[in-house]
Amino acid sequence: MRLHFADYLIILVYFIFVIGVGFLIKKKIKSSNDFLTSSRSIPLWITSLAFISANLGAQEVIGMVASGAKYGIMTVHFYWVGAIFAMVFLGVFMMPFYYGSRARSVPEYLSLRFDEKTRGLNAISFAVMTVFSSGISLYALAKLMETILHWDFDISIWVSAGIVMVYTFLGGLTSAVYNEVLQFFLIVLGLSPLVIIALQNAGGWENIKVVLQPEMTHAWKYMGNADSNPMGLHFMSLIFGLGFVMSFGYWCTDFLVVQRAMIARNMGDAQRTPIIAAIPKMLMPLIVVLPGIIAIALMQPALASKGYQIPTTASGELDYTMTLPSLIAHYYPTGILGVGITALIASFMSGMAGNVTAFNSVFTFDIYQSYFVKNKSDRHYLLVGKGITVVGILISIATAYIAKSFNNINDFLQLVFGFVNGPLFATFLLGMFWKRTTGHGAFWGLVAGTAAAAVTHGVTVAEGKGGWIMPWYEIKSGMGQAFIVASVSWIFNFFTTILVSLVTKPKPDEELKGLVYSLTEKPKYHQQKWYLKVVPLGLLLLAITILLNIIFF
Amino acid sequence: MYKKLNDLQFVIGLFFTIVSVILLLNVVLGSDAESKLNVYTGAVFLVFGLAMMLIRKGSKA
Repeated sequence: MRLHFADYLIILVYFIFVIGVGFLIKKKIKSSNDFLTSSRSIPLWITSLAFISANLGAQEVIGMVASGAKYGIMTVHFYWVGAIFAMVFLGVFMMPFYYGSRARSVPEYLSLRFDEKTRGLNAISFAVMTVFSSGISLYALAKLMETILHWDFDISIWVSAGIVMVYTFLGGLTSAVYNEVLQFFLIVLGLSPLVIIALQNAGGWENIKVVLQPEMTHAWKYMGNADSNPMGLHFMSLIFGLGFVMSFGYWCTDFLVVQRAMIARNMGDAQRTPIIAAIPKMLMPLIVVLPGIIAIALMQPALASKGYQIPTTASGELDYTMTLPSLIAHYYPTGILGVGITALIASFMSGMAGNVTAFNSVFTFDIYQSYFVKNKSDRHYLLVGKGITVVGILISIATAYIAKSFNNINDFLQLVFGFVNGPLFATFLLGMFWKRTTGHGAFWGLVAGTAAAAVTHGVTVAEGKGGWIMPWYEIKSGMGQAFIVASVSWIFNFFTTILVSLVTKPKPDEELKGLVYSLTEKPKYHQQKWYLKVVPLGLLLLAITILLNIIFF
Repeated sequence: MYKKLNDLQFVIGLFFTIVSVILLLNVVLGSDAESKLNVYTGAVFLVFGLAMMLIRKGSKA
């Protein structure tokens, strides 16, 4: 793939705009809250698009196209099972607690609801996860640019990290959020022509269904038996593991996405943020799953004349992660090629900036201010927030270089993230809906859940991974293993929290008002027009989601 | 103009308008004159960009 002047010009214009946004926001930054929480001043359309864009990093875009090619239409489960329901639940039930408690972060909510040790455990694990995720995103960007464009690895790392640093350092969270919205439009509009032209080239969806195996174009039909579908999953594993544990664990508790709703102007907008975001999320498979299915269809004998091939690895296997870049190279001429490459760069930078801005908030409020330096001036925390933004970027760069030297670190970090994230939703579910839950219960539940995740991974093997304690149980796919690990960790957390809570002293009711469902005044929706009410809106989205699942059954 | 740059909707519109001009100029100046994809995409980006810049909504940032 070779870029020309017009392509480079588009990339340059993009870089100028993202840095320019940072400079424009800079003059609005007066306090630590402006820098780290946007002072709850962002309009609904921006929080909604930033909510979805924070999750639209490169691993998402490139990874979902790769999964589309590997697993077919079953990949839509990550959206229609693994996202929409949790986003609606977050908007209707959980945002009133996050927003109403005036907490500045998810760990701070845990401190208000439970105690400092639960907050500390969550804050430290989250901070470590985000900064390493940011580094992995950076590594993946540099590696991709080196592979497809032959750009120098070091220059890619330092230029992209430098640009993210400039705009997050200048404008903090607001700058990152504004750029996420720009990146959202760029990714959607930049990749849409690819989907249209490739779909047309493949003869349309009806022809794709003819040339592919039926299990590649049916989302549910072959899930009654794990051996009958490309993911190797039974539908119950999918519904509980992905649809409940992992999905709710990510969308309802991960501060990276929840933060985008917490910066809305008022409670109504905060509740509507994930629900409005669910609309583009529902349609996102058209942009990130369909190209993968088209790619694998184009490789079938009936469409061999189209001349498209997914690249192969050194061992001769299909390199699915190269599906999207190879489609761009195959279909995009100079000009739109620059748009496609810029969309890829935008997705990497979006993922990195999202992680860094979540990291600096949690570090400043939940670690530095809580445990090290209390009661300093606001200016002090503003400077710390800015300083830690730079530190976060530098750690990301270091992580990217470590990932380059030790490729397995990516797998290792993803694994550890899974251990920590898997059980988290049980803590929030019990904390918000059972007032008897105690701080000790929450803390030991999290510890037990994380330990259970590690042990489950240690005794199961899938695609050669896991089984480091004893290879006791074999699972067909790595994805199935991840779902089982998450499910076991959730169950251990859930029951440990209940047991420990029953033998420890709960907080008095007065301290739990606004933090627990039964002790909190319910939001009143009756003054609003129906399309502004979160419950009818959420139900409508759920109905459409179920309909989509039926259509592509 | 500077005031408008504080409006994210305007900034996004401006970005896509500039990109559309690059795409269309790339076709007009002949380096890739046969590319219908650049023309169609450039036209869509131009309409989207101008709409974002010119249509005023209640929710501005």
